[in-house]
Amino acid sequence: MNQLTSLPKYLSLASKNLRRRLVRTSLTVAGVGLAVAVAVSLGGFMLGYRTSIDRSIDMLGFQVMIMAKGCPYEAATMMLKGGTGLLYLPSDTYDKVRKDPDVESITPIFVGVGQKEGSGVRDEGSEAAFTVMSGVEASSFLVMKPWLKMKEGRGYDGGRWFDAKSETEIVLGYEAAEYEQRKVGDTFYATVMPAGKATAVQREFRIVGVLERTGTQDDGTIFLPITAAQKLFNRPNELTILGIKLKDFSSFKLRDFENRWLKLPEVQVVGLQQVKSTLIGLVATAQAMVAAVAVVAVIVALLGVVNSVLMSVYERTGEIGVMKALGARRGDIFQLIWLETLMVCLAGSLLGSAGAAVGSSLVEKALRSLIDLGVSGSIVLITPRLIAGSVAGSVVLGFFAGLYPAWRASSMRPVDAIREGGA
Amino acid sequence: MNTVIEAKGLKRHYVRGIETVKALDGVDLSIREGEMVSILGPSGSGKTTLINLLSCLDAPTGGSLSVAGKAVSGLSEDDLVEIRRGALGFVFQRFHLLPTLSVTENVELPLLFLGRPARRERTLKVLEQVGLADRAGHLPNELSGGQMQRVAIARALLIEPKILVADEPTGNLDKAAGEAIFQVFKSLAKQGLAVIVTTHNTALGYESDRVVTLEDGRIVKEERGGKT
Repeated sequence: MNQLTSLPKYLSLASKNLRRRLVRTSLTVAGVGLAVAVAVSLGGFMLGYRTSIDRSIDMLGFQVMIMAKGCPYEAATMMLKGGTGLLYLPSDTYDKVRKDPDVESITPIFVGVGQKEGSGVRDEGSEAAFTVMSGVEASSFLVMKPWLKMKEGRGYDGGRWFDAKSETEIVLGYEAAEYEQRKVGDTFYATVMPAGKATAVQREFRIVGVLERTGTQDDGTIFLPITAAQKLFNRPNELTILGIKLKDFSSFKLRDFENRWLKLPEVQVVGLQQVKSTLIGLVATAQAMVAAVAVVAVIVALLGVVNSVLMSVYERTGEIGVMKALGARRGDIFQLIWLETLMVCLAGSLLGSAGAAVGSSLVEKALRSLIDLGVSGSIVLITPRLIAGSVAGSVVLGFFAGLYPAWRASSMRPVDAIREGGA
Repeated sequence: MNTVIEAKGLKRHYVRGIETVKALDGVDLSIREGEMVSILGPSGSGKTTLINLLSCLDAPTGGSLSVAGKAVSGLSEDDLVEIRRGALGFVFQRFHLLPTLSVTENVELPLLFLGRPARRERTLKVLEQVGLADRAGHLPNELSGGQMQRVAIARALLIEPKILVADEPTGNLDKAAGEAIFQVFKSLAKQGLAVIVTTHNTALGYESDRVVTLEDGRIVKEERGGKT
């Protein structure tokens, strides 16, 4: 019987030894589990946030934005999830930029921040209840976002984009329609606080289309013709952004393009790669701090494992002596204690990973309540690869955590161990 | 009968600070196959030290010792375990059965360390030998003290050792259970096993073939036993 064939027996023996002190073993496993859950959640957040930023930015459909000068982070988040503190460009910027030889396509967008039906709608706001109202030019907007499709099925058939000249037709994003329980042909009321006016104005709109789910900020948006939006918010000659696709999107060309248009007063050119790095950079510090907490949690958990296994070794001193008397070599005892440690770490890591996977939505809610992440969609992404990595990492750490207790046990002289254990 | 243990001038001295404790100081003893030897003596007389040396759990600091044909003096723990493996069976006062293993699993435990496969029929035969075949699936906490000691004896016997060493095997048992355990030892000796027992129970000790009495680390009396 070689080491390989005897391994299942050692595993069985180690498992039975662990069950002898079920409460202690459970607490130790829970400690490892908690640390792994923190680590997996953090890993999932790092992965998910990056993916979410990538996806959200890719789903904007353009590579460069031109917008009024201000904080680039606010500008980015405004486009990604409908932020507040909107600034506006003069409309003629659109006519100037569209003639640029490097521009492949361009779309003007006017953004106002709205509220749920029955509540006031105004062009600026900071309450979470407000929703984004986006004035777009459907033809150029769809060049940027060809994946936008009308929802079909009962109550949604016949959906279409609004007439560019209409002042009453709107298209709802998937979630906006779900939230308001509206279908194609329904009426939608919005109370508007136009710029420069003291009183709100309620307007009636007709829903002409509902979009399929995209998983982006578009799902919660109310789309209307850009001219109607400008009129609604009493900003007839203003835009919020220009979304641009360049013919050649290289860093050299982008810099060239930026230099050209930054000469305009009150304008900033924001490359979306820059937006990505801005957003990731903003969260990186927080991530580093949480990573440090996770590392400390893992170290504390491992010390707990070492302590627990060592305690178990001391309690079983006599028994270890007897096993040595019965013929166990150093390696046999080492293997047994080491396996016990590895099993605790493995069980803890599986438990923690499962907990992190199940609780990822709670983690996401907690993170969102703590910091403005600037993106919509899921930001905690727990993948099988991440779980496999965490489990493997825990087992490797368990490998090291088990070394000292296993060495301690295997180094006992049987005669001393039996005497100390009171044989 | 062959001699399985041969000790000449056996010493075990411990140095504690500036003091040297002579736990065993020049013991001559030989034990043959099929012989049961009891070691008697008051506490601190060196019984356990002697049995630890004879069973290769400890190494002597002086004299010569041969166990199962192999010289033991000066060997490290790693060398001693190689002599113990398969040649010596152990029974301890506190049984030291693993509480989560069944009787059968406890008995088969040494095979795991020796790298030998367990054969269930052989295990049952050994359990029959100690009168516990009907308890094979029980856990230790379902057994009496005497039964647990029998399991410990079965555990020692399964590896078919040449020498069975029992340190105070009746110390935790009542009189009847102690006598029954000694009967098992005697029967094993009759089958050719060398059995060495330390005990405080003089009456039981004299049931052995030979009785060695220790005092202050030396043999002060060596008599024939054999009372039945």
